[in-house]
Amino acid sequence: MATLTCQTIEISRGTTHDGPGLRTTVFLKGCPLRCLWCQNPEGIPVAQGVWWEARKCIGCLSCVAACPTGALQAPHGELVRDPTGCTICGACVEACPSRAMALTGREWTLDALLHEVLKDKEYYQAFGGGVTVSGGEPLGQATFVAEFLRRLQKKGVHTALDTCGLAPESALTSILPYTDHVLFDIKLLDSELHQRVTGHGNDHILRNLSIVAETLRMRNAKPPSNGYRTLQLWIRTPLIPNTTATPENIGAISTYIHEHLADVVERWELCAFNSACKQKYDKLGSPWPYADYDLMDQATIDSLREVALSAGSDPDTLVVSGLTARS
Amino acid sequence: MTDIIADHRVSATLTDERAARDRASRKGVVMQAPLQFRQSVRIRRLAQRSRELAISGKRRLGTEEAPLGDHACWIHIGPFPELDQMPSRVNGYEATGESWGRDYAFLVDHFPVEIHRDERIVGEIHWEMHMVRQYEWPERVKEVGRWAAELGASGYSSLHTCPDLAIGLSQGWGGILKRIKESRQKYLDLDHPEKASYLLGMQLICESVIHFIERHAEQALELAAAETDAWQKQTYLRIARCCAHIARHPPRTYYEGVQWIHFAVMMDRVVGHGNGYGRLDLYLIDLYRKTKSDGELSDEEAREYLAEMFLKLRGQFFSLGGRDAALKDATNEMSFVVLEAYDLIGDYNNLGVMWHPDIDRDFYNYACDVLARHGESIPVLVNYDLMREAELRSGIPEEDAWKVVYSGCQWFCIPGKEYCDQDVNSLNILAPMKRTLASAAAYEIGDFEGFYALFEEELTATAEALRTWKNTQYELLGSLWPEMFTSMNSHGPIERGVDMVDNRGVDYQYTSVNILGIPNVADAFHAIKRLVFEQRRYTLAEVEAAIETNWVGREPMRQRFLNEDKFGNDQDDVDAIFVRITESLARILGSLKNLRGQEFRASLFHFQGHLTPETIGATPDGRLAKEYLAHGINPQVGRATTGLLATANSIAKVDQRKFQGGPMQVELQPRFFDGKEDIWTYIRDFSEVFFRKGGIQINLNIMDLNKLRDAMQHPENPDYQNIIVRVTGYASRFICLSRAYQKEFVERMNFEGF
Repeated sequence: MATLTCQTIEISRGTTHDGPGLRTTVFLKGCPLRCLWCQNPEGIPVAQGVWWEARKCIGCLSCVAACPTGALQAPHGELVRDPTGCTICGACVEACPSRAMALTGREWTLDALLHEVLKDKEYYQAFGGGVTVSGGEPLGQATFVAEFLRRLQKKGVHTALDTCGLAPESALTSILPYTDHVLFDIKLLDSELHQRVTGHGNDHILRNLSIVAETLRMRNAKPPSNGYRTLQLWIRTPLIPNTTATPENIGAISTYIHEHLADVVERWELCAFNSACKQKYDKLGSPWPYADYDLMDQATIDSLREVALSAGSDPDTLVVSGLTARS
Repeated sequence: MTDIIADHRVSATLTDERAARDRASRKGVVMQAPLQFRQSVRIRRLAQRSRELAISGKRRLGTEEAPLGDHACWIHIGPFPELDQMPSRVNGYEATGESWGRDYAFLVDHFPVEIHRDERIVGEIHWEMHMVRQYEWPERVKEVGRWAAELGASGYSSLHTCPDLAIGLSQGWGGILKRIKESRQKYLDLDHPEKASYLLGMQLICESVIHFIERHAEQALELAAAETDAWQKQTYLRIARCCAHIARHPPRTYYEGVQWIHFAVMMDRVVGHGNGYGRLDLYLIDLYRKTKSDGELSDEEAREYLAEMFLKLRGQFFSLGGRDAALKDATNEMSFVVLEAYDLIGDYNNLGVMWHPDIDRDFYNYACDVLARHGESIPVLVNYDLMREAELRSGIPEEDAWKVVYSGCQWFCIPGKEYCDQDVNSLNILAPMKRTLASAAAYEIGDFEGFYALFEEELTATAEALRTWKNTQYELLGSLWPEMFTSMNSHGPIERGVDMVDNRGVDYQYTSVNILGIPNVADAFHAIKRLVFEQRRYTLAEVEAAIETNWVGREPMRQRFLNEDKFGNDQDDVDAIFVRITESLARILGSLKNLRGQEFRASLFHFQGHLTPETIGATPDGRLAKEYLAHGINPQVGRATTGLLATANSIAKVDQRKFQGGPMQVELQPRFFDGKEDIWTYIRDFSEVFFRKGGIQINLNIMDLNKLRDAMQHPENPDYQNIIVRVTGYASRFICLSRAYQKEFVERMNFEGF
């Protein structure tokens, strides 16, 4: 069997928002959705890309000299990028002395990635955490992820899957047996709107969510026994101004959870909009439609929270994360 | 709430589950906390006086231009008025213990006695021996020092050990004086005039201490006679009774015990060195239990006596926790009281909690709670078992090794039995690195192993220079600058008639050496390995030329060296080089012996060498000449980019049993804990995993950087005057630090999340 590999965007250690406890989050490349607000735009394609960070560039133009296709030019002594002409050959990355020019991710073998994430195993145990696969969309690299999570569980590590939900059912069901915790996005309940802002409707996503819910009900109904693992489910909703962060949408999701998932959802998390990803768009040389939006204020969050509660959500399960003071 | 801990302490077995539950369920701890205990009006006034003295500069250590902090034990009131009358000035200077003792006794005999209103713990000092006793190393010694410094080895001895105050607590100054006199008589009878003369000096010192304490008793009586306020009169009388007794006899009560320790530490600081003082919880536990069972001590009083002592002594090193002789947990009720005393006053202190896997859970929880709530690095958390194993590895027998105590910035020792010259000796490994680069370029060394072998040769040359340098000092140290006060509370000097710093005055005299620049050398070597030996992008000659010229005209090259993997990110390759360098240090220094026939030992820390980069120049890790060096074994600022856990893992790879300490410095932004409750649990869980993985010490500050930057501009702002930070190994008031320290502090790597 060929060595299993995966493509990652990055690996974040010591995360406290991607599941319970203290965790390492592996962000995998490739996503079937095209959310207008995407926070990890470099993670949309599975393949590696090249990006450039102005802050690190010393202006030596070694990259221009190294570029074989002319995608990098310096007509007036300043770097000009033409992403369409780039073949991702990596010559500029190799030539750049300051790592301003870099690949958007890296490839890992299964063993290397296991070695990497197990470095913090003792911390996972002390803080009740583990490893989360996120993305991009981790179900897009399902064969790797299933084996990765299986091996982690064998090492006694708690595993979590953070998914947008859009994937073949077979991918989902191949991974769920090795998953202790699912973080599942419900971005918009209106499928047409979902189609408009993410490129896909949500029928398939909600069907996959019901599979997770069913799996959870079956698993958690079994009597605890040796080696038996239960499943937890958190729903996450990104609060995107004028898009998902509307009373209609939040009310609708709240009702949906109340009616269909009340028995299985441990937490529903409203993730406040932030603009931390703007620099990623700058590095890619692409515009970001939300660049001009302010951070969310407490009043907006409070009113959405109120909507969610009055539509039936349990106050004990509803949490808001990521709220940062405006600066 | 205030009595949760007090209630809990009543149980000697420390198993009051209700109190533990109450404490564990406390929610919403915040930074710069409200104090756990309510201050009495009296304590508030004393704390205010202490703060005013600190802020006014009267507690300054270091020079006015380059203050090291406000943690001096003495209070500046101007020069010693009787300076010209010092015996060594009037009768002529002699490099002998007797002459040293006469000067000490003269100084103490001329100390004013000051007893302030509200105080129950009394005594303060204004001068120390370095200010008044003329002494100078001979030119031939200084010449060796200059030669060694060229090679990267330096440091003048200045004690830095830990007396065993249990000696004086059990014998009293009168008991110690009796032993001194008996021993002196013995050496007179045996016709050993040198030892008898040394012991005469010690006798004079001991008598001056007794008189000084007696003078407090006399003055307290006078004050009482003139006092009309009933409480104050009663307090003066208590002070008089206490001082009259403890001047010669061992303390009988907890109050007398604290006052005895106060005098013992203060009179030790008259010498002006950096000693630690041992396990305060073990020193006081018997007196505490006895006074408590006699019904003569309330919880509030127990805290307040110690709090008063802390306010007066400032940042002295005491330790808590650890294990006992049977290697069982040594935590007791006093361990709590000591932390409570700090919790009562905040401000600062250098308490260390000696963790081990069997430590009382409630106590460790409380220690982490105090650290989290105050956010000011107190207590320091240290790994007791690793310290004990390091002492065992040096050859200290089991019967003594358990007594190990965290005693100073990063170091530890066996109280009263060890003189290891801690924290003053320095080995700057950037010097041998630079020589390696030059000779490897000249010999055209073609592979990293050959390069590293050359480095070990150069490192050996520097270590041997250090040995020569220290041994040159050791030949004279016992007569030039004996440590006679500390020797009185040590095991050996009185009976042997030999000072603890002199040959075999105490049993354990390994020489410890602080190491400067390990992370920089590791980063440099990794970059050289990759770029010179593997990729062949540059030659060694080019690297040498680049750092000689501070990389001028070679920015792309510098970027290459700067952007190779760096220590502190839990990356296997570069961390392996880091560990390899530490192993080389342990082996090379361990193969050398000092005049006492005992080994040199490396300590992975340097208290301020990283702040003087101009003497070092640029380095092949991509560092420019003006940039500060890495602090101890913490990554160079800006290079740890993978988070706190990764840095902790990198540091924990060192086998600390082979060293004399090496702290991890952690600076956290308050926002680190945004949205989290019970932040002390994060500190507890993080520190315990770090210790189990091999870490030995955590210095933790939780500080808002913007506030500190503003404090640099507006030190007069009252909001900023009480901010305490752990500078290097010690804690100090931020506004009382030099610009360089302040700047370095705010530029440190600050973690905003795990």
